[in-house]
Amino acid sequence: MLDSMREWGFFLLRRFGFFLIALFGVSVITFTVTHKIGNPVYLLVGTRYNQEMLDNIRREIGLDRPLHEQYLRYAGNLLQGNLGISRFSYNPVLEDIGRRLPATLELSSWALAMGVLWAVPAGILAALRPQGRMARLADLAARTGVSMPGFWLGLLLIFVFFAELHWFPAPLGRIARSIGPPQYVTGWYSIDTLLAGDREAFFSSVSHLILPALTLAITTSPSTLQITRKRMQEVLQSDYIRSARAFGLPGNKVYRYALRNTLGPVITMIAMTYGYLLSGTVLVEVVFTWPGLGLYAVDAMNHSDYEPIMGVVLLSSGFYLLVYLASDIFNALFDPRVRTEL
Amino acid sequence: MLAGEQAIPERPSLLQRMMRANGPLRVRLNIGLLLLIVLLGLLAPLLPLHDPVRPNPLNRFKAPSLEHPFGTDGNGMDVLSRTIHAIRTDFALAISSVALGIVVGAPLGALSGYFGGRLDSVITRITEVFQGFPQILFGMAVLAAAGNTMVNLVLILAFYNVPVYSKMVRSVTLPLREADFVQAARVAGNSPLSVVFRHVLPNTLVPVFSQLPLSCAYAAQMIAGLSFIGLGVAIPTPEWGSMIQLGANQLVFGKWWASIFPGLALFISVWLLNNVSDLFGSLVVRRG
Repeated sequence: MLDSMREWGFFLLRRFGFFLIALFGVSVITFTVTHKIGNPVYLLVGTRYNQEMLDNIRREIGLDRPLHEQYLRYAGNLLQGNLGISRFSYNPVLEDIGRRLPATLELSSWALAMGVLWAVPAGILAALRPQGRMARLADLAARTGVSMPGFWLGLLLIFVFFAELHWFPAPLGRIARSIGPPQYVTGWYSIDTLLAGDREAFFSSVSHLILPALTLAITTSPSTLQITRKRMQEVLQSDYIRSARAFGLPGNKVYRYALRNTLGPVITMIAMTYGYLLSGTVLVEVVFTWPGLGLYAVDAMNHSDYEPIMGVVLLSSGFYLLVYLASDIFNALFDPRVRTEL
Repeated sequence: MLAGEQAIPERPSLLQRMMRANGPLRVRLNIGLLLLIVLLGLLAPLLPLHDPVRPNPLNRFKAPSLEHPFGTDGNGMDVLSRTIHAIRTDFALAISSVALGIVVGAPLGALSGYFGGRLDSVITRITEVFQGFPQILFGMAVLAAAGNTMVNLVLILAFYNVPVYSKMVRSVTLPLREADFVQAARVAGNSPLSVVFRHVLPNTLVPVFSQLPLSCAYAAQMIAGLSFIGLGVAIPTPEWGSMIQLGANQLVFGKWWASIFPGLALFISVWLLNNVSDLFGSLVVRRG
């Protein structure tokens, strides 16, 4: 009992330590971009300035200080949630991000759910019959998805299902303009409209969600499918499954054991996909004018404003590392071996 | 020859194995088509095509016809000619960024794998941080801060490839440390650096080359993606991402050709590169 607690303690400490080191690494990179590659002075002086004003601002924001001092100041600001001010919306970056985060979270969660729902069963089926028709189909679908540029696939779907067939609404935002956003509860329109009990608004929000979510599901799910299939095949060929079969265990019971041992890497891959999606939606958000973090970053870029982009970079790398940490802990719950790994 | 000894068959060359593995037809088809695309790009200026960068205001968004088999785009430029000329831009940018990544990453990986210790753990940590890095966003920020040029685009993509190759070369180097030929080189009095660069590094190249097409595929997708939002390669230079962008707003009105054809070219190239990388990979495993 005590031993296992110690094991857990060290495991959590190691993983959390790594999480902090990684966060530090990310902040060093974003610091380099905002302070060394870009010059924040020009963001502050506006369009009319002279040398004296430049020097004053340099001193004011501490650009004349030694490098490590500048970094500490930057990191201190980050810890207080100060990500700078957006040059085109004049809002603090953190505030802007908070307003747009639900849109991106909603889209990536739907995309993840759609991808997992087809990729995991397809991967398992493909592993059970490696030469079967299903396996070939899954392989083809995975290859196609991986090679498909997401933004182009989005345009393709818009062309077919909006422009030609009119099955889905125009790719303009999250809900029909005539309906307008529901009252804010979670920020997820597909949930808030349900809570408000507005059927029409709910259908509108879902019909706006399906195409972009499908686009992301198609391009991000192949890795889940491949890893499910590969892992399941490995497990099915392992000694303990062979012994289980030899002892005459019924088929569905054998598969249940196999499935359980397949789960670990699959969960890690799903978590990594989710972490990737938060920033991986950028181009698809542009195609569908989905007002999330990606579109915010692109707007900022068009104003040569890199602090909001760096804010989104920080947030999404933090989110990725957090999801990764969570999947590690989740795996350790099921598999004691993970707890003693580095 | 001693009794019972069998003649050792000569080991087939990499090329021979390449042509044989996984059903010769599929391999030949993939590599052949990829070479065809590269050739098409190389010969583009000699082919009887329209000028890829000459606008014609009277000829905007014309549907595919005999004169313009892929139609014309929003500037009245010929989409077929631009799609073919774009092979040059996209492949050149992708290959140069990957090559730069290898030139920096492979020696780093060999050094860290060979010497181990603190350098090794630092490089491994950095690689791990990069796995979760939002690459498109970061590229956007750097290009916004440092200037939106093709050179910067290549540098960023090379930057992403450094950890990929340092990690791979490192993992191949680890078992090589104790290999006979490396020990022999050491005993023969070579300096540690010369052991790494003349004996270890050349023996890590096979997995590097099997990864190469995959990295190029990824780089091509990144280049097109960034150009799609107006970064890196600007119009009128023919490039698939910016071409897709130029056609995108007419797509909803049913004028599909200006976006669909360049996207198709990108999709097919990436597909072939991925396949070729898979085939190389299975060869490396088989050799194992």
